[in-house]
Amino acid sequence: MGNSIQDSQAPSLLDKVKTSFRNQSVLLVATLVILGVVFQIASEGIFLTTGTLATVLNDWGSYILLAVAQTFVVITGGIDLSVGSTVSLSSVVAGWVLVQGLHLDSSISGDAAIPYVLLAVLVALLVGLTVGALNAFLINILKIVPFIATLATMGAMSGMAIIISGGMPLQGPNDFNLGIPYTVFGVQLPISTTVLTVLIITVIAGLYLHKTRFGLYTYALGSNPFATRAAGISPARHITKVYMLSGGLAGLAGAYAYIRLGAGSPSNGAGMELYAIAATVIGGVSLMGGVGRIIGIALGTLVLFTVQSGLLMVKVVQVSPSLKQVIVAILIAAAVAVQTLQKNGRK
Amino acid sequence: MPNKVIYEVRNVSKNYGAVVALDGASLKLHAGEVVGLVGDNGAGKSTLVKVLSGAHSPDGGEILLEGVERTWHNPKQALEAGIETLYQDSGLAPHLTVSQNVFLGREKFTKGIFGKLGFLAKKQMEAEAEADLQAVGIAFPSSNRPVSQLSGGQRQAVAIGRAVSWARKVLILDEPTNHLGARQAGEVLEVIKRAKKKGLGVIFISHTLPHVLEVTDRIVVLRLGKIVRDAPTSEYTADTLIGTITGTYGSDE
Repeated sequence: MGNSIQDSQAPSLLDKVKTSFRNQSVLLVATLVILGVVFQIASEGIFLTTGTLATVLNDWGSYILLAVAQTFVVITGGIDLSVGSTVSLSSVVAGWVLVQGLHLDSSISGDAAIPYVLLAVLVALLVGLTVGALNAFLINILKIVPFIATLATMGAMSGMAIIISGGMPLQGPNDFNLGIPYTVFGVQLPISTTVLTVLIITVIAGLYLHKTRFGLYTYALGSNPFATRAAGISPARHITKVYMLSGGLAGLAGAYAYIRLGAGSPSNGAGMELYAIAATVIGGVSLMGGVGRIIGIALGTLVLFTVQSGLLMVKVVQVSPSLKQVIVAILIAAAVAVQTLQKNGRK
Repeated sequence: MPNKVIYEVRNVSKNYGAVVALDGASLKLHAGEVVGLVGDNGAGKSTLVKVLSGAHSPDGGEILLEGVERTWHNPKQALEAGIETLYQDSGLAPHLTVSQNVFLGREKFTKGIFGKLGFLAKKQMEAEAEADLQAVGIAFPSSNRPVSQLSGGQRQAVAIGRAVSWARKVLILDEPTNHLGARQAGEVLEVIKRAKKKGLGVIFISHTLPHVLEVTDRIVVLRLGKIVRDAPTSEYTADTLIGTITGTYGSDE
């Protein structure tokens, strides 16, 4: 055979430099370094400490779960807007089971509360999986596009969370030690049991996304659904798995919220979907599907947290917490703009 | 024909609402035979391809594979029965690598517990994809490159290589030489000839009539959902073939 088909050769050094500039991870690391320096100066030296990192990770652990969940969904070319209200609903149902169902209250704490906390995790997970299954039903059977299907469940689940909780937090048994950072030989680490669990889940999810058939089909669906079906893969079955994974992780994020606050509250997940989508987009996941890596998501989430937490520590000017949402929106727009520029640069 | 009939449709029909896409079409394909399927836009070629590949179920008629009546509910069943289809312009997932595309739907797993958990044998598949494509006679860049980084000709080569290397009985190629330069199209035609020698039944759909006349043994002409002529390629000339395709009320766009 002729070598006409072999017309592209090994990349030159210049190509390599260009490629690394287009590489989302390189951009994100550079952004993180700059942000770290800026906030370190603006906070008069309190930003880059283990204590700050511990607080940041503890505050944002549930968001990491949602970003991971959203990654799988967005790579298939879909979107899951219902994750925030799933967090609310699952934490509320977990609280309801303990408080109303088992008539327990917050007087049970420490080690004695562990079995109940595990029950709360299980309940929240089941609630999340159910919401995911409902989303899959709307998308596969009723043929509603993911944006609208999950917008509908988003509204419905957040309403359900208010109805079940009566609009008030349900305070139940909890072991707050789970969220307290470990101290090893007198040195405080930025990691608590809950944060460690989140990080382990993230690593496993990353392995599944990049190393297994499940991940491959996730990319394939977002890349070319027609080719995927033609290859003998059932798109509906995989869509179901992906939305149930998203729901399940949102359920675990609900459990995280319950453990962090010791209560199931209908406001636990308010607005979280915006952050989850922001983290994935900043992390280099294309909303068109088929593109994204877990390392990018991890870095994207870190950029988002750094900005959010850093702004609170700025000493020279007072930044209103309400401004945070505006900044997240700007970050999403900027990230998408960068993606578009990178794509156009490639052509 | 010296060889046995490998794939056959009898009297198949397919309607999309009020539109009759296929109207009682019958077609026989023998092992080691290349049949050209031609017709104007809207003649029903794509619909017939989708019926043959299991992507669509016909409203009426029979499908027989090696003389046994079959019903395809999805493309997977046809694939598993040994029928490979290369769809026009959309056979590959651009974000996946060459080897991921070649093995899509037929992945190999690592040995042991990780394989059971769904972990893929990436290196093995890359090596095998490379060997398979070479065996088909297709030159291509490294099998761990994303398909989106390949040229149109390279993509088509990979798509055809994938179909040929997996096909066990029937190979359906929908416009495989579209958008290809003369040299690359020539390579594709060579691949088709080799597939025929392997004993596969090949259905070749194309608008490029010189390619059809060069590579096929028999040409089936579709017009408005009906088969209007089914004859050995030697009985057609370029002119009579065009005349049969356009018919009395056909249009050439």
